[in-house]
Amino acid sequence: MSIITSVVEPFGLGLSTGTWCVMYCAPVLLPFLLGRESLSHRKNISLIGLFLGGRLVTYIALGFALGLSGLLVLEFFDPVLARHLSTIAYIFCGMILLSSGFAPRILARLGCGNKTGNAPRCTRARVFSFVSGDRMTALLSGLCVGLHVCPPFWTAAFRSASSGTPLGGAMYFFMFYIGTLPFFIPLLGIPFLARYSGLFKRIARMTQVLVGGYFLIFIGIIPFLFGSK
Amino acid sequence: MIQTIFFSGFMAALIYFFVLAGQTQSPSAWIYAVFLLIIFVQIMRTKQISKYRRIFQSAFAVFFMISFIGILYDVRGSMAITADTTLNAENPFCNIIIPAIMIPYALTKTIIYPGPIIGNFAAVIAMLFIWFIATVTIGKGWCGWVCFYGGWEDAVSRFAKKPRLHVLSHNKDFRAFQFAFLFFIILATVAVMSSVYCEWFCPFKLVTEFAPINNIPTLIATVLFIGLFLGLVIVMPFLTRKRFQCSTLCPFGAFQSLVDRLSGYRLCIDTEKCTGCLKCATACPFCAIDQDTITGKKGRPEITCAKCGECIGVCSSKAIRFEYAFEARKKKDASSCARPEPKTRFGRTVQALLDPQNLFIFSAFTFSVVISSRFVPDAINRIFRLFSGGVL
Repeated sequence: MSIITSVVEPFGLGLSTGTWCVMYCAPVLLPFLLGRESLSHRKNISLIGLFLGGRLVTYIALGFALGLSGLLVLEFFDPVLARHLSTIAYIFCGMILLSSGFAPRILARLGCGNKTGNAPRCTRARVFSFVSGDRMTALLSGLCVGLHVCPPFWTAAFRSASSGTPLGGAMYFFMFYIGTLPFFIPLLGIPFLARYSGLFKRIARMTQVLVGGYFLIFIGIIPFLFGSK
Repeated sequence: MIQTIFFSGFMAALIYFFVLAGQTQSPSAWIYAVFLLIIFVQIMRTKQISKYRRIFQSAFAVFFMISFIGILYDVRGSMAITADTTLNAENPFCNIIIPAIMIPYALTKTIIYPGPIIGNFAAVIAMLFIWFIATVTIGKGWCGWVCFYGGWEDAVSRFAKKPRLHVLSHNKDFRAFQFAFLFFIILATVAVMSSVYCEWFCPFKLVTEFAPINNIPTLIATVLFIGLFLGLVIVMPFLTRKRFQCSTLCPFGAFQSLVDRLSGYRLCIDTEKCTGCLKCATACPFCAIDQDTITGKKGRPEITCAKCGECIGVCSSKAIRFEYAFEARKKKDASSCARPEPKTRFGRTVQALLDPQNLFIFSAFTFSVVISSRFVPDAINRIFRLFSGGVL
């Protein structure tokens, strides 16, 4: 592949279609970030970084696999498979958002919770606290969101598969990902919004739970079990 | 008295123009015109704003349903949304999803609702125009006075004389949930680029149109629609005497609360006159007044106030009244809603005519007349037809 097709083209693809990425990521990221306690700029950047890191891992893995498989894989990578992939991603994403949203209540229920803000003392609570913690939620939801198949993702998948080598495929997805990054810059301003009242945070947390429930049930489990409407 | 005659005269002209013009031979139009005029005169004369407003809004809700369903049967032979109507973008556009279509439009220049963009019956542009005019004049007063869905809850909430379920202490939670639901609907709509509210969460499918049940997801959606209608529009308003769906779930209501600052009217609570009896908080159908509003001497209801006038009616110390938004912004003493008392009779007459309460009621009722002017006479015609042996 030439420098044009392996670097400039995917970068341009990401740059020109990044609104799609924002449309898939905003429902996950916005309520999650706005609902965090004491969200400093540093914490905000680290959470966005983890989310984007998770997305990058998924993209590179997919690009690698598609490049390795070659064009023949597109025989199987049809809209039906893509929809299943998205559905599974939504189910996991919904579970992650819900577990993060309900974490304080669940920890309190586990009996050795951290009502006082101290670290939980028993193993199951510690494990749950780790899995549903802010950093892990950001990372895991980034991994899942990377699997949501949108129109530019299709283009990137096709071009990666046609690259002929696993590294070429991974590179294509990497540059596509880099092209979408500028669209996430506005998220750096979240701490200015999060500074507002506790009610704002509460509304954001409720929104996170509603989005999680919607992902899990309405565009996750129902289409997975019964097909779409 | 003078303001009753003055405003009723103008209203009679408006009713003639919107309801009767071109239909003077139609008995149903005359019946509705007389009904509207009686309601308006009674509001102005008795000052029992909410009582007569409720009679209008409840009647409008029922007649709107009859007319709307009748029109659907005329056009497509059933209430069911067909694949053709969706593909041809012929589904009537509903005001509730206005907040959900804005961001997808801004991002992709696509209106995600499969409805007509232009035209005179429930087209997107027409609804947006009506919404904009309503927002800059009566603001959230749309919910309290005009909304043809809210009338259902308004009627049902009066079936019981006393609330069976006291929810005053949860008003803040309801408000928070309503805003969370609005943001969820906007974000989910952006994520899937289709109208999530219409697909899964609209309680009013039962009284408008619905997707035919031809697979399990549509069955689940229908069960949800029925459950939401029965739960939030019938059972909870009956138990709480609140407009429960309007206060907790309606995304349009939450959106109107946010843009209400553009409107010209506010409600003011005179904290000097207020005795703290909380009758207004108990009566408010929109959960817009709670204990903190009164004890914190905020001097105004919370952001979700729909200016329905219920609190004005129950306040025995006359501490609640309408005021102009510009008055609210420039006044220094937030505790008082008093206006300077004119010295002359002429001054008192002018003040009565320019009273924000009178002007708000006139504006809100004008909207009610305009929006209902075609639906209600049509519904009355259909009922006449039904009773004379025809079909609805």
